[in-house]
Formats: sequence, C-alpha cells, structure tokens
Amino acid sequence: MEDQTTVKPFWNSYVAGVALGLVLLTAFVVTGRGLGASGAASRAGITALNAVASAHVDNNKYLAKAKADNRHPLDSWFVFMALGVILGGFVAAYSAGRLRREVIRGPRITARSRLLLALGGGVLMGIGARLALGCTSGQALTGGALLSVGSWIFMMAVFAGGYAAATLVRREWL
Amino acid sequence: MMFPFDFIGAANREVGLVVAMLIGIGFGFVLERAGFGTARVLSGQFYLHDLTVFKVMFSAIVTAMLGLVVLGGVGLVNLPSVLQTAASGTFIWPMLVGGLVLGIGFIVSGYCPGTSLVASASGKIDGMMTFLGVIVGSVLFGELYPILGSFAQSGAMGQKFLDQVTGIPRPLLALGVAVMAIGMFFGAEKVERIFRRRRGLDVDGDPAPKTAIWGRFAFAGMGAAAILGVATLALPESTRAAGGKQGPTIAKGKTYSLISVSQLAGRMVKHPWSLRIVDVRPVKLCKAKTLPGAECMPKAKLKELNLDVGAGSRDLVLLCRGDIVKFPRVALTYKGRVLVLKGGYAAWEAYALKTPKAPGDNASPAAWSAYRFQSAFHQSVTGRKTAPAVKAAKYVPKRKKKKRGGCS
Repeated sequence: MEDQTTVKPFWNSYVAGVALGLVLLTAFVVTGRGLGASGAASRAGITALNAVASAHVDNNKYLAKAKADNRHPLDSWFVFMALGVILGGFVAAYSAGRLRREVIRGPRITARSRLLLALGGGVLMGIGARLALGCTSGQALTGGALLSVGSWIFMMAVFAGGYAAATLVRREWL
Repeated sequence: MMFPFDFIGAANREVGLVVAMLIGIGFGFVLERAGFGTARVLSGQFYLHDLTVFKVMFSAIVTAMLGLVVLGGVGLVNLPSVLQTAASGTFIWPMLVGGLVLGIGFIVSGYCPGTSLVASASGKIDGMMTFLGVIVGSVLFGELYPILGSFAQSGAMGQKFLDQVTGIPRPLLALGVAVMAIGMFFGAEKVERIFRRRRGLDVDGDPAPKTAIWGRFAFAGMGAAAILGVATLALPESTRAAGGKQGPTIAKGKTYSLISVSQLAGRMVKHPWSLRIVDVRPVKLCKAKTLPGAECMPKAKLKELNLDVGAGSRDLVLLCRGDIVKFPRVALTYKGRVLVLKGGYAAWEAYALKTPKAPGDNASPAAWSAYRFQSAFHQSVTGRKTAPAVKAAKYVPKRKKKKRGGCS
C-alpha cells in the first residue's frame, strides 16, 4: 500500500475520461447495459420506507415497482453496481492517500450550512433523476454514448441548470 | 460468439449481479482518480476555472460511442441489441425539466449521484449528505408520483437516437461528435486558463503535468477509432448485418423451413424453451384461441417484434390460419432458425384439439407410438381424458424405444 502522507495527483482528465469510457464500453459489451447510480439510491430509500411502512409502499404504484416479482427492493443490478462504486472509490482514495474525513467547502461558508446545502442539493437530484429516468451516469453518460436523443437533451439541461444556479450559490464555493 | 451476453436473464441472475459489482468497482475507481471524489473539482465546472467534469465526461462518451461503433461495425457486438437494452426511452419534457432540476442540485450539493457515492467512500461528509439527499429525493418523487406521473410520461417518443433523427449513418455521426468534442477540449483548456488567472489560481494548473503526454495519446486514440468506425462502413453487408447498420438485414441465402404439427408438439413437450412461437393470424383470432405460449402479432405488424434483435437462440415458429400463403420476409431478420407450421392453426386444431382416432390393429408400432403421444398431448392441452385404452398385446413385443414416447 501507498504511504498515506503523500497524496497522488489526479489522472490527466482525458486519460481518466478514456478509462471511464472503457469501463462504460465494457458494461455495454459484456452486459448490454450501461452505468448507473441514482437507481441504487431509489432502491435504498424504498427499502427503508418498506421497513417502516410496507403497506404504504404497496399502495404506491411507483414505489411498489421496486418490489415486483416478490423480490427484495435491493435485489437489483444497480444496487450491486453502487456497492462496487463504493468499493472502487474507497480503494482508489485509499491508495492515493486521499481517504480523509472532511467537509469540502468554500472559504466563506460554515461546515453546517455546507452540509445542509449538500442534503438539499441531493434531494433535488433525487427528484430530477427519477423524473429523467437516470442521472449523470445512467442518462448523460450512458445514453450520451448511445446517442440517445433524450439523454443529450438531459445533458444540456443539466449544464444549463448548473450554470444558472451557480451564481446563486457562489458563496458556497468561492 | 456475439456480444453482449445474456447475463441479466433470470437464469444467470447471480452472475449478472457479480458482473455489475465488478463494473461498479472499475467505475468508482476511475471516478475517484479523475478527481470526482471531491466537490472542489466538480463545482469548478460551473465557475469555469476547472473543466475536469466536461473533459472527463466527454472523453468517456466519445470513447464508449466510438468503441460501440467499431465493435458493432465489425460484427463483434450486436449494436441494435445494446441500444435496445441500454438506452431508456426519450421523454422530452421530463428529461428537460429533470435535467434542469438535477443540474441545480449538482451545483448546490457539489456532486452528482454517482460521484457523491465516491466522495462518501473517500470520507467526505458532504458526499454522504448528498447521497442521503438523493435517497430522500427519490422516495419523495415516488410519493409525488400520483401528481407528477402524467408529466413524467409526457413527450414520449420511444427510443430515439440522433442518427435516426438526423439521417446521418452512426459512424459518420460519431466521427462528427468526436471531432466536435476534441475541438471543444482545446476550447476548454483556453477557458480554464482564463478563469484560473482571473481567480488567482495557478495557471498551469494541470495537477498531473507528467501525464499530459498521455492526454495526447487519448486524442490520437479517439481520432483513430473514429476513422476506424467510418471505415467499417466499407465492410461487406454481411459483416455489418450484425450491428453496424440501422434496421434489420437478412443474412444471404437465409430461408425458412416447414415443421409438421407432430414435430412441433414433440418439441413443445420436450424442450419448450427452444421455441418462440408467433401467431401471425389477425389478433382477434389469436386472442380467442392459440397455441400455449404463443405470441400474437399479425403478419403486417411483425416488424414491431424487432425480430432482428437478440441472439436468436430459440427457433422462431410462425403460425398462420392454414398453410402459409405469403411468407413475411421480415421474419428472416431473426438470427436463429425460422420455421413455419405446416397446415397452420387448422393443423394444430386437428392434431391437438380433436380426440385422436386410434389406428387399426394392424397399424405399425410407429403409428401406435405416434397415437399414444398424440392422445397424451391432446389430454395435456385440452384437459380432456378421452383417449381410449391402447391395445398393448399387439405391439408390445415389437416395441422399440421411440424418441417421442409420451410418458417415458
């Protein structure tokens, strides 16, 4: 293992991009599917809700879909992929000396506010991803490489939304 | 061997999940090494001093896009099949609005759902909060589905791809996208430089200058793959039939053969999984009565089954009212064997639905054996126990082991 005190630099962006593209290509070629991350979040949420209010989940047509065929909501392709992402991310961070408990924030914001904003932004992304049938991984990246019309519309919209809101949360980052 | 494998099928479910996890490991590892484990890099995209997001994302899209075009073009990958299984349908309005909402969430949280997982795994508390938010938001969407549902379905176009919309062949379009992306990469480097200077950041901010040379290789690789993709357009039709071309093609010299109803019945009992039966009679007739396990799809609409997609590991059996009059050519796009039921539904009715008549005492053992099978089959299809007892004495001594023995 690497020395924890020396932090390795990030990869060159284009090299990282090609590597990411090859991972995506492998997924396409071997499994006929792309990548995804938000689906796992949805499954995790439904699992938690199901534990406290199972009947409520059954009554909601959308949520109940995760339990179709009497499967556990976590018995899903994308949940296992997410587990892999956590594992891969952990190994990469650890071996590069970047494994550290911290809150990433700009100089003008408290950690508390930053965490609240992170939560709020996450909620928005959860809603947006379900509405668009995927997030930046499942829709923009996967569908983008397949030249899917909806995915390219989605991708443009993500950047548009991000740039539009960036001026409002400038204090959070700069 | 044609990719992709059918991993996700119920039979291989466990293998599929393991493969999903392995791919996830690669995905997470690369995201972290790209710098996507920290919101500092990701948020920089929206203040223009760090365009890593754009660079990584578009290099990845271009790489995977070109890879598919090349592999599909040389016939290694069944591209139409991948497109069908991996792409979601296009819903214009929810994707536009969902994208905007996700984009706002992106800059507010500093992550996207996937990168928030990587950030969580590398110890970032804000990453964990973001993923928690994504979980809450997903469930919230489910709760709001009774209200949002109709909007979420609006602007539905089915699966739509840019090459279909523009009419440009996919390899050429891919070349165009690659050239455009590389042009934009050079632009991005300039923009990054300008904004880094403005923010008083290190201008030669490439965190890994030593690997910059590899970036050039990445460009060269993309360019080469793009040209290779276009070159596959020159390959003979049969190679591309598998993937390079949009729309179904028929392999040269391919034709259909006839199957008799007794052969079909035998296979329905012995290996029903090797059959894909499609009833091409008018839907009304098919809905009323058809073979067990048959799909209803009238001849004129047969194209809608996308028979060209998939490996064609089962034999396709077409079923008309009687003998086939005009064979639908589109059925030949199916990758596997194509069979037509001799005598059509009428033959089926006569064979399986009517009580079979016992052959005479002097009939050959083969005829008796066929009769025994037919009456057993008739029973299992109709549920009627009408078959008379068979006269054992006559044929037992000569009895040979028949392939189509009813209850062996």
